[in-house]
Amino acid sequence: MILLAVIALATLAANGAAQLRNAAAAFLAVSLTATWIAAGSASPGQLAVAACAGLVSAALLYVAAGDGAYGEEPGWRLWAATIVAAAATPAAFASFRTVSGDAPALPLFGADSAGVTVQVAAFWLLSSGIAILLTARSAVRMSVGALLMITGVQLLVRLVSGSQLTYTLLFSWLEVVVALVGAFLVVNERAAREA
Amino acid sequence: MNALIAIGILAGSALVAFAIRKRIPVVGPLSAAALISAIAALVIAPADATATVLDLPFRLTALGRLGGVVLLATLVLLVIDVWIGEPAYNFFPTALGIGAVIVAVLSLAVPLAIYATLLLGLLIPVGSFVFQVHRNRSVEAALRHFAFVALGGSLGLAALALAAGLPKDQPAMTFVLLVVVLVIAFALKLAAIPFHTHAALLVSEAPAAALALYFGVLVPLTFLAFAQILTLSGLLPAIVQVHKVQDLLLGIGLVSAVGGALLASGAGDLRRLVAYSVISNLGASLVGIGTLSGPGIVGAIAIVLVTGVCATQQLLAAGALERASTPEDARPSAARAPLAAAAFIAGAAGMIGLPPLVGFPGHFFVELIAYAFSGWVGTALVGATVLLLVAQLRAGMALFAAPIETWRVEPRPVAGAIGAIIFAALLLGGVAPDVLLRPIAAFADEFLRALRPL
Repeated sequence: MILLAVIALATLAANGAAQLRNAAAAFLAVSLTATWIAAGSASPGQLAVAACAGLVSAALLYVAAGDGAYGEEPGWRLWAATIVAAAATPAAFASFRTVSGDAPALPLFGADSAGVTVQVAAFWLLSSGIAILLTARSAVRMSVGALLMITGVQLLVRLVSGSQLTYTLLFSWLEVVVALVGAFLVVNERAAREA
Repeated sequence: MNALIAIGILAGSALVAFAIRKRIPVVGPLSAAALISAIAALVIAPADATATVLDLPFRLTALGRLGGVVLLATLVLLVIDVWIGEPAYNFFPTALGIGAVIVAVLSLAVPLAIYATLLLGLLIPVGSFVFQVHRNRSVEAALRHFAFVALGGSLGLAALALAAGLPKDQPAMTFVLLVVVLVIAFALKLAAIPFHTHAALLVSEAPAAALALYFGVLVPLTFLAFAQILTLSGLLPAIVQVHKVQDLLLGIGLVSAVGGALLASGAGDLRRLVAYSVISNLGASLVGIGTLSGPGIVGAIAIVLVTGVCATQQLLAAGALERASTPEDARPSAARAPLAAAAFIAGAAGMIGLPPLVGFPGHFFVELIAYAFSGWVGTALVGATVLLLVAQLRAGMALFAAPIETWRVEPRPVAGAIGAIIFAALLLGGVAPDVLLRPIAAFADEFLRALRPL
């Protein structure tokens, strides 16, 4: 439960940051918390790969910012994205959760064995990412939104049976490529604005 | 397995091409040679060869081989056009990277891995090619494309991950909702109407070869991946159980087919005409898949493959006509580049599905089965084809409006030569349509078996 609260606050921080460097730092917190939530269903090696992907993605955005002042003022978009995410997460959980007869035991710290924590965190990240992407005006918030969505997908993939090492490698690469493209767009958007 | 060899060749060449990307006389032939080697590896591959890498299964089906050969051959033509006619150094590593993605997507046998690889392929051109940095609107076009790809990609991946992770005894409605999310995710990436705004912006801002890469290669690849993922994901029975999902597929398809044709008939320039024609044909293909019938599936995939090739032919020709125009010209004219204009018209014939070209059987199957499904659906599709015919005719008449004595053959008729090669291939395919249709029919058989598992 505490990890869900941490990931929610870190997402809000990424969503509300007016400077890209702050958003990148908040995204790193999101990514590391998501890795922690997934700790029960992944080996230490897989967790290390996922954490490295989060670190590299955050670093790419941080470097792309160029200076501490560059970013996008969220304004009303922060509240719109938060309200949409808050409404969409329970709706998505009600529609897509794993239905079982047993009531899952939710530990205060860490993830549960039934996958409820993983699913709630994933739906929150996906809803937040969608809301941010739909309301973003520039590459700054679009990159953050896309990375939040991919992090949510990575959590859901933890519940899939099959080779988790392969999926971890594939989706970590995907996260880094999304960050790379986002950073590239941030740099070029800034160049176009300043031209 | 030959598909893995092809992926290795293309991915390795992409890295080399990136390192030497500014030496166009070297990187152009290298890229073409790598693509031709990959095509050769696919052509000689045994049917249904399998392999496993890191526990990830690969299987090269007959359709995978056909799709791979067609899309890689299209890439070869694009590379030749950029190398000789429209030099752009960053195109070559992009094309080779996308080539590797094509073979991977068509040979992987796990939906999640197919989708994730497809997403990588759709992201590659965003970062390296689709815009010119000194123009604000082109940055906006690239941004919007990135947003649509990220949104559609993540939604689709989430739906597939849930479908693969949920136990099979879940309520049926859960799986129905997942299919709905998956269909919308693909509609976003296929630029189906009403999700086409990013593609419309790209059309006016990206270079012609980049557009051809997107509409001629990546969009058909996305459609093939959609059909494969539906077959492999185990979600198809949900479509049969609830007719509303089938209606959604048919609805998106019909809106795109008719809407795309209407937009094409009002298009103010050649690029938009081609882009909206592709969207219209993709809509017809979605209707074909939505009928959940053998002829519909065969026709849908045949339309998609031929549309990609014809879009490449027309977009390259449109680019050549634009480059040949002078500032005094109100619009591109055959007087400046008659061979490119002829290639544009030949591409139009394939795009509409005129006999005896190989585009005809696909359109015929889909429209026939659409009539069998519902008179209204069939009429709408035929109406869309007629609108496309009128739009392409108008564009052709405008191109050839100048008197013949003012015509000057272009000094480097690359687009014209590529158009002639593609037209000859379409004609040969029309003479022997079995080469195209038999592998697709084998896939349709698999699709129908997945629809009603025993």
